[in-house]
Amino acid sequence: MIKEFGVTLLLASATAFAQESPFQFNGFVDTYHAIQTEWPHDFTTSRTRLRAELRVDYENAYLFASLNGIHNSILDDRTGIQLQEAYFNYSNSFVEIRAGRQIVVWGVADGLRVTDLISPVDYTEFMSSDYDDMRMAVDGIRIKYPGERVNAEVVYVPVPRYFQMPIGEDNPWRPDLPEKASFDFPEGPEPRFKNGDFGTRVSFFLSNLDFSISALHTHNQSPVTVAGYDPVKDSIVIRGIHETMTMFGGDMSMPLGEFVLRLEIAEYLDEALGYANNLDYARKNTFNALGGIDWYAGDNWTFMVQYLHKYIADYSDELAAEKNSSQVTFRISKELLNNTLKLALYGMFDIDNLGYYARVSGDYALSDQVTLSLGYDHFGGKRGQLAGYDKNREVWAKAKYYF
Amino acid sequence: MKIAKTAATIVVALSAMVCAEALTGRDIVQKEHDRPDGDTRSSELSMTLVNKSGNKRERKITSFAMDVGKDTKQIMFFRYPNDVKGTGFLTVDYDDINKDDDKWLYLPAMKKTRRISGKSSKTDYFMGSDFTYDDVGQRNIDEDTHKLLREEKVNGVDCWVIESVPKKSDEIFSKKVMWIRKDCLIAAKVEYYDKLGKLHRLLNVESVVQVDGFWAIGKMTMENVQTNHKTILEFGELKFNIPLDAKTFTVPRLERGL
Repeated sequence: MIKEFGVTLLLASATAFAQESPFQFNGFVDTYHAIQTEWPHDFTTSRTRLRAELRVDYENAYLFASLNGIHNSILDDRTGIQLQEAYFNYSNSFVEIRAGRQIVVWGVADGLRVTDLISPVDYTEFMSSDYDDMRMAVDGIRIKYPGERVNAEVVYVPVPRYFQMPIGEDNPWRPDLPEKASFDFPEGPEPRFKNGDFGTRVSFFLSNLDFSISALHTHNQSPVTVAGYDPVKDSIVIRGIHETMTMFGGDMSMPLGEFVLRLEIAEYLDEALGYANNLDYARKNTFNALGGIDWYAGDNWTFMVQYLHKYIADYSDELAAEKNSSQVTFRISKELLNNTLKLALYGMFDIDNLGYYARVSGDYALSDQVTLSLGYDHFGGKRGQLAGYDKNREVWAKAKYYF
Repeated sequence: MKIAKTAATIVVALSAMVCAEALTGRDIVQKEHDRPDGDTRSSELSMTLVNKSGNKRERKITSFAMDVGKDTKQIMFFRYPNDVKGTGFLTVDYDDINKDDDKWLYLPAMKKTRRISGKSSKTDYFMGSDFTYDDVGQRNIDEDTHKLLREEKVNGVDCWVIESVPKKSDEIFSKKVMWIRKDCLIAAKVEYYDKLGKLHRLLNVESVVQVDGFWAIGKMTMENVQTNHKTILEFGELKFNIPLDAKTFTVPRLERGL
C-alpha cells in the first residue's frame, strides 16, 4: 500500500511544478556511513536514503506527504520505502486542523523528553541520525486555536506507537544478552479506543516570557523490560512492557540578555518502572524536571547546557532506577566562513551510571544543495547503556544533497 | 504683488537654509529613520552571496512588517535553498533602547519554535551574508552618537555625510560613515569600520525605487573588503499599506508558514 502511494507521489512530482503551481516537491538524498575505530573496525551504520516531500495547496488547506526510500547495508529489514508523514491540514484565523500521520513536538528541551511524549523516538541505530530524523510520526488528529498571544491545542492519537529499539540480531547497537535470549517488543498497543493517547497544551507568548501548560494521557513509550521463559523456543524472552500513564506538565523559556533560560517540568502518574531483577515492574508517580541555558555569545558562537532530573515517589529498593537520577547534556557550536562551516561538540553525561557520549562534528556546505559532514562519536563510562557502547566508538561521514 | 511673491519665496528659501544649517547629525538620522514607509509592508528578498572566488549562493525570503506605535513587528519566511525552506523568523523591534528585541526562530526540521536572544544575535551575520541582524532590522538611533561631517554628491545626488559611533563597546563596528541622500532620505552608501579603525564593510545602494509614493531600496550590495566576500540584496514585489493584522506576527503564524 505504501509502495503504491510512493509511486503515485513520485509520478505526481514528475509532472514538474511552476512556482505558481499548487504543487511543491522537495527532498534530499543523504548517505551516512560509520565505522568502529577499534577492532574489528566493522561498520556500525551504512545507509543511503531518498526523502521525497510533496505538498499540494488548495485555498486554506493542503496535503503533505513525506516518504523515505532507504537502502540499509547493515539492517536488511530497514531497506524499503517508509511513509514518514502524510496529513491533511486546514487553517483559518480561528482554527488549524491537522489529521493523519504527523510528528508532534512539545516542550522546550533539546533532545530530551519531559513533556514531549507524543511522537516516539527511533533508536534502531542509536543516535546515528539527527534527532529530528529520529522522531517518529503518529497517526492522529490535532486541532489548534492560533491566538495572537495564546495558542491552544488538543491532540488525539487513536493508535499510539512505541520507541523502536535496536533489538535485531544483526544490529551493532543491540545490547549484550545471554545466549539463547530474545526480545519481544510490541510496536504499539492493541487498536482500541481506550488505548488512544490524548492531551492538550496551552501556550502563551509574551514579550519577555513564553510558557505552556500541558496534560497528556499516554503510555511509557520506552519499554520497561521484564524477562520470562519461552518453552517453545527454550529461551529467555525479554518482553517490553508499556502501560498507560498520565502526564501534567509545563514549560517556559525566557530571554535574559545574551542568554535564554529554559525550564520544563512534568509529573508522571502511574509510570511503569522495571525491577532490578528484571522479573517484574511497578507503577509509581515520578517528578521530572529539566533546566537549560542557551548562550548566544555572538560571533556565531552558541553554548547550550541542560540538566534533567527524575525523582521517584514511594520508592522501592527493588527498582532498577535510583530514587533520584540525572543527566546532563551540552552543545557548543561555532559557524565559520560565512556560515558554510559549522563545528559542533555535543555531550551527554549519565550521572548515575557515570556513562557518557560525546560527538564532535563538522558540517561544510559545499553549495546551496550539497552538505558534507564528518564526525567522531565517543562512548565510555562505568556502566549503563552508554558505557556498553564503548565498542562502537566510531568515525562517520555523511553527504546530503537537497533538491 | 510680484515683489511680495518674490519676497515670500526668498523668506521660505532662507528659512529652509537656516533649518538645513541647524540640522544635526542626529536630526538627519532621525529624518531617515522616520522616512514614510507605510504602516505595513511586504517584499520578496533575494540575497546572493559571492565569495572571493566568485562562487555564488542564494537565499530567497518573503518578508512582512507592521508598525505598532514606535515598535516594528517583522516576520520572514525562507523559501530557498531547500535545506532552510520553511524556516521562519519573527521579531519585535522595540524603539525603547533599554528593551531587548523579541525573537523567535521556527525550524521546520525540528518542528519547533525556539525563543532566541534578542540581544546578541544583532551582531551576528544574517544567514551567512555580510549583513548583520542589526543591518536588516531597525537599529535604534540612540544606540549611536551621530555627527554631520559634510555635504557632498554621490553619483550626482546631494548627500549628507554622517559619522555614527556606537555608544556601547560590544558592537562589531567602531564607527560607520553614511552618505544619506537628501532627495529621498535613503543612504547611498555606508562605510563600516572595525575595532582597529580599518574599513571592514562597504554598503552601496545601487537602486532606489518609488512604489505607491514611498521611497525604498531596490538593490544594494554589502562587501566585506577584508575578506572580499559580498552580498547582493534585491527587494522585489515591494508593497506598502497592505492589509495585515496582528495575527500575521505570531508564533502560530510562524509555524504555519507561507
